[in-house]
Amino acid sequence: MNNEPLKRWMCLGCGFLYDEALGSAEHGLAPGTRWADVPEDWVCPDCGTPKHMFEMVEIPYAPGQPVVRPIA
Amino acid sequence: MNASFVLRASERGYNKFLSTGDSASYIGGHPEATLTRHSSFDFGPYQSGQRGFGRLRVFGDELFSGPGCGYNIHRHHNFIICAFVLKGQLTHINTVGNMDQLTAGDYYAFSAGSGGKHCELNLRNEDTNILYVWIMPDQLLLPPSYGRSRFDAATERNRIVSLVGNADGAIRVPQDVKISRLSSDKAMTLDYTPTSKEHGVYVFVIEGEVVVKDTPLARRDSTGIWGGERIKLRTGVEDADLLIIETAP
Repeated sequence: MNNEPLKRWMCLGCGFLYDEALGSAEHGLAPGTRWADVPEDWVCPDCGTPKHMFEMVEIPYAPGQPVVRPIA
Repeated sequence: MNASFVLRASERGYNKFLSTGDSASYIGGHPEATLTRHSSFDFGPYQSGQRGFGRLRVFGDELFSGPGCGYNIHRHHNFIICAFVLKGQLTHINTVGNMDQLTAGDYYAFSAGSGGKHCELNLRNEDTNILYVWIMPDQLLLPPSYGRSRFDAATERNRIVSLVGNADGAIRVPQDVKISRLSSDKAMTLDYTPTSKEHGVYVFVIEGEVVVKDTPLARRDSTGIWGGERIKLRTGVEDADLLIIETAP
């Protein structure tokens, strides 16, 4: 069991955010998927930047965020 | 990211993009246009430099050559993107609802926040030279925002003028950064005093020559300084133009 707090990663090519707590259902990543478990060939869905060019960020969310949209 | 450094103009990253072939959807322009970028920090294909400076991640000195050259409309989140037009004309369109044309001296700050798109184009035959500065936000997924303003070198000569950040007359952005400019036409010595000893200061020479804390810098050279209580800037009799970015660690 991994007791590390869930982290957030930001794309340095465009600012896209990957939050481990939320995953990315539209890209096949279930909520709770750790960054280490995201495939190494995964790229930013918005700009194509490779995974190794993301940065772990400890920046809080703005009030009211994140808004998680249900998948249609 | 918190070590002081001097970066000469020729040591910066360099990338050239064409409006044809593989990058045709990314780079605008017809029939053929070229976009060149000198990067002070790692960005895009340039990944052998340093990863940023404090809250700063991208500092691009870019030239859009050929009518229509620039970046076609594309997505962003979170980053606060600032553009300072040095030469030519920039047409900027964003999904906050702005369509602006900016010329030398004009600048904007676009905070992409929870999501926005923008387009950056040179619609003219003459080259457009822009400094792009990307800043991490202090909160994630903020409401997107945009502001534009102008630095008038003719009336604001020989003093440090705040353009972006928490200062009178500056465009406010959601981060502990302050961007200033100094345009001089005489020999003088000024002190730049950071908000605290923890703040770093990045000085980029747009034109001319300047001595920053005993280090002579020429056109497009830059230096990043941490732990300075007061940073001495010495200009010469020839015209000089500096961009000064102060950032929290």
